[in-house]
Amino acid sequence: MPKPINYKANSVIYFRGDMGDKIYILKGGRISLNSNDIETGQEIHDQIQTGEFFGVKSAMGKYPREETALVLTDASVIAFTVPEFEELVAKNTRVIMKMLKVFSTQLRRMHAKVSSLLSQDADSDPEEGLYRIGEYYLRKKEYSKARYAFNKYLTYYPAGRFHKDANQFAQTAEAYLLKYGSGKGPAAVGLAQSPHATESGGSPKEGAGSSGGGGLSNAAQKYYDAVSTFSRQQYSEALSVFKEIASSADDEEYVVKALFEIGRCLFTMNQFDGAIKHFTNFVQHYPKSPELKDALFYVGQSYQQKGESERAKSFYTKILSMEPVEDGLKRKVQKAVRSLEEGA
Amino acid sequence: MELNSGAFERFAVKFQKGDLIFCEFEPGDSFYLIQQGRVQISKVMGNLEKTIDILQPGEIFGEMAILEEAPRSANAIALDAVKALEFNRENFEILMRGNPQIALKLLKLFTKRVYDQRRRFMILTLDDVSAKVADVFLMLNEMKTPDNLESDERVFHTTPEDVAHWAGISPEKARDVIQHFSSQRRIELLTDRIVVKNINEFVRFVNSRRRQVS
Repeated sequence: MPKPINYKANSVIYFRGDMGDKIYILKGGRISLNSNDIETGQEIHDQIQTGEFFGVKSAMGKYPREETALVLTDASVIAFTVPEFEELVAKNTRVIMKMLKVFSTQLRRMHAKVSSLLSQDADSDPEEGLYRIGEYYLRKKEYSKARYAFNKYLTYYPAGRFHKDANQFAQTAEAYLLKYGSGKGPAAVGLAQSPHATESGGSPKEGAGSSGGGGLSNAAQKYYDAVSTFSRQQYSEALSVFKEIASSADDEEYVVKALFEIGRCLFTMNQFDGAIKHFTNFVQHYPKSPELKDALFYVGQSYQQKGESERAKSFYTKILSMEPVEDGLKRKVQKAVRSLEEGA
Repeated sequence: MELNSGAFERFAVKFQKGDLIFCEFEPGDSFYLIQQGRVQISKVMGNLEKTIDILQPGEIFGEMAILEEAPRSANAIALDAVKALEFNRENFEILMRGNPQIALKLLKLFTKRVYDQRRRFMILTLDDVSAKVADVFLMLNEMKTPDNLESDERVFHTTPEDVAHWAGISPEKARDVIQHFSSQRRIELLTDRIVVKNINEFVRFVNSRRRQVS
């Protein structure tokens, strides 16, 4: 139960440095909170208003009192334990909001003080920091995180010191993410070679009007843009760009890639008949595509979605017979087969 | 986290497992309340990524953005498929008004942050680099419950890089100071931990340096 307590003038409710689990509200009389400014050491005296809480932060945070609560004239207070206090204010969000504002002002002030001391030191350049995080993740082959960091860098520092590299590495991250998946493939940073040296085929044309010197062709640029549109779940927008690339016959490699993605869009948009038709066509025209087995997988998935389990299974079986099957795909196919068997 | 209605659905955002929700140094203007999944808070230091915390549904992160559009101080990564409510300075009062439990949670978080910042400030205002390093160990000591109160010895699972971060000095400098303490046998530096031989001696040392300042 909250406890009313009376104090005589010149008594002390708590000393700075004490540990205490009580929160107080002043009912009458005068109380001063005495502390020293942590910067100048100057004495600070804060008089509590009637109805005001004190001792909140140290009690809730379980750390030592930051000030001494000195009673100036005979005073009466009510003491709460932390749970009692929480119960009280939970019914009154206005009180919490008020305290939140007080605390956030204090926090902002402390934060600014700390930052001003730190900025005298070298290692707090957010521009470089952001860029280095991208590099770190690219080195660790965490391509989607690398892509995120580089893209953020380019958003905030479009003409920054590292914008050329950031632009190139953002595309590298994107390309490797698609090609190898996270955790696999080459680590790009620190190698002198162009990050696209591993991209075979496709005569790189100057990307007129493209955002940077990554050396990607127009089709490639468009393709990666559409892939990120897809990853933002804007499937129909992505689909129309992939269709554009596929019909442009600009860069054979990306035409094939785009064709594959069209099927993926259809499948993701639950157009299973369309996906089956498209991928069947794809498999016939590009039997040497590295995406062949994935295409077959999507055909199987589409049949499975349509409830045609037997047909789905025949595609899965076919994929598994086409050694070598890349590990990730193999797992996906095996999982799909299990789900069919469990469903049966 | 129970919210009183679906009224907050419009603030809901989803992340896939492994997604960066935000990264360190990125300017931030929103904060998050986790509804589903776990969020890892990490910092990249040199060639290492250090996990600072793993947050569960019901917890808040990115809350410093309520104050100002300062760069994020750490990475937030979705450990699972994560659903969170995203708020900013303009709309967070709407959330708080109907949800005293969340407001209280935020209040507690701010309490802790004020203390942490204040404590950090006290380290930074020390003039003497050795005292700064020693005070970092005192701060770390305050944050943990000692395994054995009888003993003056304290074991910290930390690295010179961490100490450098807290002390606001370069890692090389931190290493130098720790080496020096080590040669005086006041500290033992091991690969995975740092042992302070007599924590009370560090308290006296830091206090003596602090008095000179003020």
